[in-house]
Amino acid sequence: MSAQDAVDLHAVRSLLSDRCFACHGPDAAKRRAGLRLDTRDGIQDALTRADTGVSELVARIDSTDPERVMPPPDAGTTLDATERALLRAWVEGGAPFVDHWAFVAPTRPEVPDGAPHPIDAFVHAQLLGTGLTPAAEAPTAVLLRRLHLDLVGVPPTPDDVRAFEHAHAADPDGAVADAVDRLLAQPGFGETWARPWLDLARYADSNGYQADQLRPSWAYRDWVIRAIDDNMPFDQFTVEQLAGDLLPDATLDQRIATGFHRAAPCNVEAGVLPEENRTLQVFDRVNTTATVWLGLTMECAQCHDHKYDPIPTRDYYRLFAYFNHTPLEVELPSGTTDVSHDFVGPYLDLPLSPAQEEARRSLERDLRDAETARDAHRSAALPDWIERNRLAAENTPTWRTLAPADLKTTGQEEVRFLDDGSALLVGPVPDVATYTLRLAPAEGTITMLRLEALSHPEISGEGPGRGDTARPNFVLNELEVTRRGEPVTLGAAWADFSQKGWPAEGAIDGDPASGWAIAPRFGKPHDLTVSLDPPIEGGELTVTLRQQWGRGRVLGCVRISVSDGDPADTHALSDAVLDALRSDPTDWSHDQRAAVEAAFTKSDPRARSLEDAAEQLASDLAALQPDRTLVMEELEERRVTRVLRRGHYLDPGDEVEPGTPEALPPSTGSDRLALARWIVDPANPLTARVVVNRWWAQLFGRGLVETLEDFGHQAAPPSHPELLDWLAVELVASGWDRKHVLRQILTSRTYRQDSILGANDRDLDPANVRLARGPRVRLAAETIRDQALAAAGLLDSTRFGPPVMPYQPDGVWRAVGRNAPRWEEAQDASRYRRGVYVVWRRAAPYPSFVTFDAPDRASCTVGRPRTNTPLQALTLLNDPVFLEAALALADRALAEAPEQPITRAFRRVLARHPESAELDRLRELWRARRADYERAPERARALIEGVRARYEPASDDPAALAALFHVTHVLLNLDETVVKG
Amino acid sequence: MGLAPLLQLADDQRPHHEPRAKHVIYLHMVGAPSHLDLFEPKPELARRDGQLCPERFFAGKQLAFIRERPNLLGTPTDDRDFAFRRCGESGAPISNLLPHLQGVADRLCFVRSMRTDHFNHAPAQLYLLSGFERFGRPSIGAWVHHGLGSPNPNLPGFVVLVTGQILGAGNSAWGAGFLPTDRQGVELRSKGQPVLFLDDPPGMSRDERRDTIDAIRDLNGLRAARTRDPNTLGRSLQYALAHRMQSSVPELVDLTSEPQHVLDLYGARPGARSFANHCLMARRLVERGVRFVQLFDQGWDHHGNVFYGIKKKAKQVDRPIAALLLDLERRGMLDETLVVWSSEFGRTPMGQGSTGNGGTAKSMGRDHHKEGFTIWLAGGGVKAGHSFGETDDLGYDVIRDPVHIHDLNATILHLLGIDHERLTHRYQGRRFRLTDVHGRPVRGILA
Repeated sequence: MSAQDAVDLHAVRSLLSDRCFACHGPDAAKRRAGLRLDTRDGIQDALTRADTGVSELVARIDSTDPERVMPPPDAGTTLDATERALLRAWVEGGAPFVDHWAFVAPTRPEVPDGAPHPIDAFVHAQLLGTGLTPAAEAPTAVLLRRLHLDLVGVPPTPDDVRAFEHAHAADPDGAVADAVDRLLAQPGFGETWARPWLDLARYADSNGYQADQLRPSWAYRDWVIRAIDDNMPFDQFTVEQLAGDLLPDATLDQRIATGFHRAAPCNVEAGVLPEENRTLQVFDRVNTTATVWLGLTMECAQCHDHKYDPIPTRDYYRLFAYFNHTPLEVELPSGTTDVSHDFVGPYLDLPLSPAQEEARRSLERDLRDAETARDAHRSAALPDWIERNRLAAENTPTWRTLAPADLKTTGQEEVRFLDDGSALLVGPVPDVATYTLRLAPAEGTITMLRLEALSHPEISGEGPGRGDTARPNFVLNELEVTRRGEPVTLGAAWADFSQKGWPAEGAIDGDPASGWAIAPRFGKPHDLTVSLDPPIEGGELTVTLRQQWGRGRVLGCVRISVSDGDPADTHALSDAVLDALRSDPTDWSHDQRAAVEAAFTKSDPRARSLEDAAEQLASDLAALQPDRTLVMEELEERRVTRVLRRGHYLDPGDEVEPGTPEALPPSTGSDRLALARWIVDPANPLTARVVVNRWWAQLFGRGLVETLEDFGHQAAPPSHPELLDWLAVELVASGWDRKHVLRQILTSRTYRQDSILGANDRDLDPANVRLARGPRVRLAAETIRDQALAAAGLLDSTRFGPPVMPYQPDGVWRAVGRNAPRWEEAQDASRYRRGVYVVWRRAAPYPSFVTFDAPDRASCTVGRPRTNTPLQALTLLNDPVFLEAALALADRALAEAPEQPITRAFRRVLARHPESAELDRLRELWRARRADYERAPERARALIEGVRARYEPASDDPAALAALFHVTHVLLNLDETVVKG
Repeated sequence: MGLAPLLQLADDQRPHHEPRAKHVIYLHMVGAPSHLDLFEPKPELARRDGQLCPERFFAGKQLAFIRERPNLLGTPTDDRDFAFRRCGESGAPISNLLPHLQGVADRLCFVRSMRTDHFNHAPAQLYLLSGFERFGRPSIGAWVHHGLGSPNPNLPGFVVLVTGQILGAGNSAWGAGFLPTDRQGVELRSKGQPVLFLDDPPGMSRDERRDTIDAIRDLNGLRAARTRDPNTLGRSLQYALAHRMQSSVPELVDLTSEPQHVLDLYGARPGARSFANHCLMARRLVERGVRFVQLFDQGWDHHGNVFYGIKKKAKQVDRPIAALLLDLERRGMLDETLVVWSSEFGRTPMGQGSTGNGGTAKSMGRDHHKEGFTIWLAGGGVKAGHSFGETDDLGYDVIRDPVHIHDLNATILHLLGIDHERLTHRYQGRRFRLTDVHGRPVRGILA
């Protein structure tokens, strides 16, 4: 039975699906009266049952009794008279069953007679009797513009148009075929056709959700562009993206391709449970896979059997099982109090780019030179330095510990005095605390006092601070010394180590906000020394330690000692260095030598600058990491997959094995690779149809099946079922050759038709379902920008690499949490790169793209809406991108065609010649502006300055340029400009 | 593409039943205020302050930050600022932190039994505002705009005002999902141009802009005469509208035209970037016919120092919110404007922080809480001076009249004359709606 014969049955089936399946369809849990209308057996059964026999079915749909009528009043849906008649006729005719068309593999339909091109033959056959006739071919320039925009995303140049018109005059079919071949081979093809695929792949450069940080996976975006440029067969294109990592001896590129499913958004908020996040990502992968390749909405079956399609929940989780073996993708960075998780999961290192490779070689060379210079200086100067400092070492002051007689604290903690003269604090950790230590009496001169912040096994995290096991820091805001109640004046403070921003001096500066802290050197003792200025003579000292930072950042174990040495002798050198200096250098351990060298470097300006130079180079070299990209990786240990009741990851039910939906042909194998191969198996009835339908929609603005995203029972019936099947079969038979299929479509008369509406079109076929005219489709957001830049001569054709940040108004990217990325507007030519390379941040995508209906790419998007709004007008009128392009276009037109700049600019944008009325209107505007500006040239200069952004005009006639700007600006704003006509 | 969407509005967009409200001003406190310290006096919680929370509050529960069984944290009883006052005839308890709101208590309808299913900000925001915890669904404002259109063609039908940082859900919080893109919220920015690309470039006069738009119209007209494509004329219409917006929006955002006593009422100051200015702007928007106005105010996520933070935030919003209600009322607009004060969830009666090992109350915060929280509504169609629902003595679980976020959304739509089960959009083979397959209007709060 051909699809054509079954059209009525398909209409019945689609009606049953829409109005009846919710209660009499695949969902076993919700099925009423045991009646099932979605299967052959179910219908047969119904017809033979007394309560649901032929007469009963008819009676129920015709009933006016609210208790009996079907669909029941609370169903939210009804049947109109035509629909009831259709169902009545069907039931009375024995209720023949037909499989849902999309679940039966396509076979190559017979091509009708009547046109040499198969596509035209199918289309013309359907036009018979409709009152519609095929339109003539579009004007040559319009046709070429259409081809350029469809294939390479930018308009043809006037030279392209001239050459095409010439060729077309001699051989129209040949000229079109040649143009198609030429454009399919251009680099812009991959960039243009990658865009809709990246919408499907929900490819973005950020995580999505709360923090929405950037993450690298642009190598995947580049992979898509290259694969499309290279015309990678669509089956391979599929397999590598879904399971490239599982291919035998997977290449780098095949692994990069798996970035497709790493594009799932990821929430790194603190409260996220990594397993929950992973489950959501697997849901996303299952749903996206089903939508992209099978045209099925799987999502419903997460929680209950699908209401319309034969996908029980169990089948959903069998698909889930294919994707259930990749690692977690978030983890807590450290401790338990961080505000968000880290985004982790498998990355792949990319090879260094040639530029990076060159930079690496040069840095390595410079580093070697710097190290040689440093070592040479050290060998020359170190012996003298050691000699000089040996003397100081021998005079090193000695220290006496003063055990505390008492330690009072403002907190509730318990104090234990240890044998080594230290005091340990245990028990409840106070938020903030002040310790007051009364010390044993000291004798003799005191020039310095030292506080040791000791580590101890009883302190959580070993200290020296108490408040946080993972980061046992303390903040000593003030250290004060008194003798018999009188303050002792402190001179200088220094420490063995100070945290950045928390220097030793902060502890004696009288400012309660500053202080001394030691992160990240936890778990070891530290000391702070203060000089007494002037020195004092013995007595009973009291030391007060104020720690006001909060959250328990207080000392856990303290010890005080004093010295009568000269502060100048110690100050700079650590005990370890002093110890070393007192012994013979030939006996130094490796560590001692390193400590001495470090001390030398610190004190010798030349050594320090040489060391700094070497360190800078070393850090530059370390920073020169290879770029990375997100990839899929299979765990060795496979997870058990269970049905998740109501889709909740904490409520697992029956165990399931990987498998494809029972209503579709079976798969062999249980990993992602097997699933990928099953998807592109010619026996799969859906994939090829779903794919060619999207390509068709990309060109015609409407699919042969209007519901691009749904080929299930609720799908819109195909407008041209045989044509759809013919294209699907052609795709598979050609070896999944995308360019072959596009060539078939683009060379058809159907595609080449003029797009103006015929006299009756608005009444007979406003949406152009019957294809009696060519496509008129508003351009995609990126194409609108690319086109303006190309017409202006600004477009930078550089390909690939990290995303770019062109001009964007201030304040579009606002912080949404930790480490929020910043917009750094490119000042070089990369601000003019194609839209496909513009950074895509899910929380705030590029504004003009959003205005022209780009999605946020947080979920799989099949086909963008095409709206028409005042914000779009404002964008084209005032977005500096378009203003700058208009100025550059005006400047270019003046240079290229000083006699006819308007016509030249017009053709740069719209390819065709302006008609005389159009030219007159544009000239009128130009003359008016020009007259104004000639009277007031400073206004011309002000306008140019106001719109030029980074562009430097070549024209030396501001009045002419500014006047022409108004014209080119109008051109960029025309409906025809943003529409492929 | 059919006709331009603007031309399609009239037929599709009609209420299902007589609306009680024509406009919505939706005040979303981003991060989730500690409702317990604002509206829920819980003497038992205060009495047990510092005690370990009942085991069931912690065991098996999902909490965002708390990892060890926490102590209960009562509203401070030793600080007059944190005392509750029974206000107005309704006697609704409102904290002294909100003195101005205390004065308008009899206009408010509290729902003290809100529940949600998500306890992380971004998913919970998406869930509350789009009925689905992940991306891709239309926001409530977009649904309303889609269902009813907007009376003023010179302004967007759904306007968003953000104070402070943007929320975690990002633009999706006011996105159109699978609805036509023009249903999405348009953000009125408080810095730079109020609407992106509203201003003409430097050096271009209004007359010159007018000439540009006329030329665009004429050339589109010439083309449309050939192509017969109605969309071409639709685009010229959008240019005319854009041009009108270039005057109407600056006029709209210019608060200097407000008399001083009105500015004082709100605590607004022309040119400032404040919640007060946004409240006043909300009134101006509704006055001009904008259907749905959504304010986001960031900074309520008080995991630490909650009693410091809530005091500071309460002070920022108290006067402007009370002013908004009074101002709407004085102008006779409150009857047809539904004001919603809400957040993505509430906060725990348990403290978050280190009192367990010696910290002080000063540093304590509250964690995210989805089991029970408080919001209020006012104006168009809701009972004034009314309280609905209740949580237990410790403010943990709802014990009476639970209201799920789907119920709230169904109620908001109901008040606007929309049956939440009938406002659907067909996508991916099924009819989607804001409330998924859940939700019922809360009859108990309808006036």
